[in-house]
Amino acid sequence: MPGGFRPKLNICHMYPDLLNLYGDRGNIMAFSRRCLWRGIQVEVHPVSIGDKVAFSRMDFVFLGGGSDREQNLMAADLMERTGDLREAIEDGLAVLAICGGYQLLGKYYRTITGEVIPGLGILDLYTEGGQKRLIGNVAVEVELGGARQKITGFENHSGRTYLGNLEPLGDVLAGHGNNGEDGKEGARYKNVICSYLHGPILPKNPFITDHLISRALERRYREAFLEPLDDSLEEAANRVMLKRLLG
Amino acid sequence: MSGLRMFIALVAARALTFLIRLSGRGRGSSLPGRVALKICPDLIRRGTSRVSRGIILVTGTNGKTTTNNMIARILEGSGHRVLVNREGANLLAGVASAFAREMDVPGRLCFDYACLEVDEAAFPLVASQVKPQLVVLTNFFRDQLDRYGELDRTVSLVRDALKGMEGAKLILNADDPLVAQLGRSTGLQSVFYGIAEHEGVRFQGSADREAKFCPFCGRELSYRYYQYSQLGNYRCPKCGFSRPDPDVEGVSPRSEGGFTSCRVRFRQGSAVPLDIPVYGVYNLYNALAAYSAALLLGADPHGAAGLLRGYTPATGRMEKFHYRGKPVYLHLVKNPTGFNEGLRALVGVADSRVDVMIAINDNDADGRDISWLWDVDFEILEDRQDKFGIFVCTGRRAEEMALRLKYAGISEARLAVVNGYKEAVKRVLEGESPKSYLLATYTALWPVERILRGYARRVQTKTEYLPHVS
Ligand SMILES: [Zn+2]
Repeated sequence: MPGGFRPKLNICHMYPDLLNLYGDRGNIMAFSRRCLWRGIQVEVHPVSIGDKVAFSRMDFVFLGGGSDREQNLMAADLMERTGDLREAIEDGLAVLAICGGYQLLGKYYRTITGEVIPGLGILDLYTEGGQKRLIGNVAVEVELGGARQKITGFENHSGRTYLGNLEPLGDVLAGHGNNGEDGKEGARYKNVICSYLHGPILPKNPFITDHLISRALERRYREAFLEPLDDSLEEAANRVMLKRLLG
Repeated sequence: MSGLRMFIALVAARALTFLIRLSGRGRGSSLPGRVALKICPDLIRRGTSRVSRGIILVTGTNGKTTTNNMIARILEGSGHRVLVNREGANLLAGVASAFAREMDVPGRLCFDYACLEVDEAAFPLVASQVKPQLVVLTNFFRDQLDRYGELDRTVSLVRDALKGMEGAKLILNADDPLVAQLGRSTGLQSVFYGIAEHEGVRFQGSADREAKFCPFCGRELSYRYYQYSQLGNYRCPKCGFSRPDPDVEGVSPRSEGGFTSCRVRFRQGSAVPLDIPVYGVYNLYNALAAYSAALLLGADPHGAAGLLRGYTPATGRMEKFHYRGKPVYLHLVKNPTGFNEGLRALVGVADSRVDVMIAINDNDADGRDISWLWDVDFEILEDRQDKFGIFVCTGRRAEEMALRLKYAGISEARLAVVNGYKEAVKRVLEGESPKSYLLATYTALWPVERILRGYARRVQTKTEYLPHVS
């Protein structure tokens, strides 16, 4: 940012008390630290069941996944907020939704017994329960902001997600991805990024983090200049897994 | 015929154990048992039928090895012959290995007790093969989810296995709602142990808290205080399920000079002082569980306390070494709660500067998904950085560990990724700080311990404090 101006971003961490599986909070850490290292202030707003939140005033929303019981509680609470969230997303709100959060943004989840659990219906996708869990390390090739990069993470889901009129996040190089069939992983809509990758995804894949920070800055301040950081450790961590998966 | 099968199984297991030790590859803990079970599928049942006084099973997420070894130590010190599956060989094959190793080849066995630590996921299978007199439960935390599925499932599998155990008694952690509920939900006779409110308790829950909901009605539990994770004084506002009054309760715990001590208060009001040569409140839980079990088996309260004082930690449970006069600690880490305990102990020994080594593997036995590293509170180190020299990261996921520390705010100048355990151990031992502290996941622990043993002397606590017990 030019001059002495100190931008600030509001980070919204949805249900950190319920959804604390698979290191998901690492995504909040990565987003926050990479802002702070560049002199961008951040304020993290943890949101629990029943708390008030104005999505229009938020700059980045993170929605993770949890075990079944926690996920049901979260779904019920989010249903009440769907309208606000949809509006903010249409307005360009940066969102990262992982695993259960990803599924929830879609139209529905059909369980293996045929029960249909409605989603928020914000994104054109749906999920079918599967017999076998899709578990393991994943490598995905992603194109974001004109750059193609290989990202890595760990997936662990029994739901198979199918996209309607929606772009995937990337192509699966190793692992299962959305459904183990079509070779696609994750989804993108406006400034929303969805993925099955834990890892967590943001610390090891800083160009995705920086993409989200840039979009958030643009929406809030109409401009975004991100000073480059030394990412050699991030790249090294990513390289270990890429080498193992792809040789 | 089946006698012959058993004979062949035992001979084969012995031969395998010998060969594995000879080759220097690992400790030969589960392969001999696997082979012996193939040859003689009812090996364990036949083995246990020859244990004269009783079988004790220890299960739960953390502290199994320590608790089991403590029970065995008290029983041995009280003059009993005890069979133990040591060193975390706690799946069915590991238990079979223990029997195959200890039984004489004719298949006669003369043990008074068998103390068996059993992996919580393998518990139903092992439980179906033995008739335990006592089952000791430590705690339930999230552990290697990609292998076991979710915590709720593990707890309900253990509960269902317990329901089938007529006549068994339970030793339950009153402070862990996931464990304490097993008294009511299984209907088995239960003894509860716990730790009373003290200066160190917290009034805010931490992020790694697992159980937030009442196991009976699903309402969120409310807490008067927390010990750590979901352990504490809880109550369900809806159905009234609450922390049971402990039969054996640790009062005023404190850690000092490598010892942790408390007063043990019994339900009837009498009290006995207890000291254990290991660090931290979480080890006190293990000691109280072992103590309760031993008392229920007829041990003398003062004698048992004396024997616990002489307890030697198992490999990697805050084990102490000396390297050229420098204290060195080795600690096993396997899940967020255990790692947080390890970090608290690390901060505890950081009265002078400490060099740290962390070895992270992602083999099957470690859990292939290492995202849990992000659930560990490394952030507690950020404000105390001057207390640490270097952080040496090693193992299959060394880079990821270093990355985690970077995002916890540790300056990159303090971070080193070192390939190879040997180089890494050397680097941390030769660091400039007056202390070293090594943390390792399961499959990294053994190679690290072997290398460490080569350089440093293990500190023995066993004989120094051995009391006289008749
Ligand atoms: Zn209740």
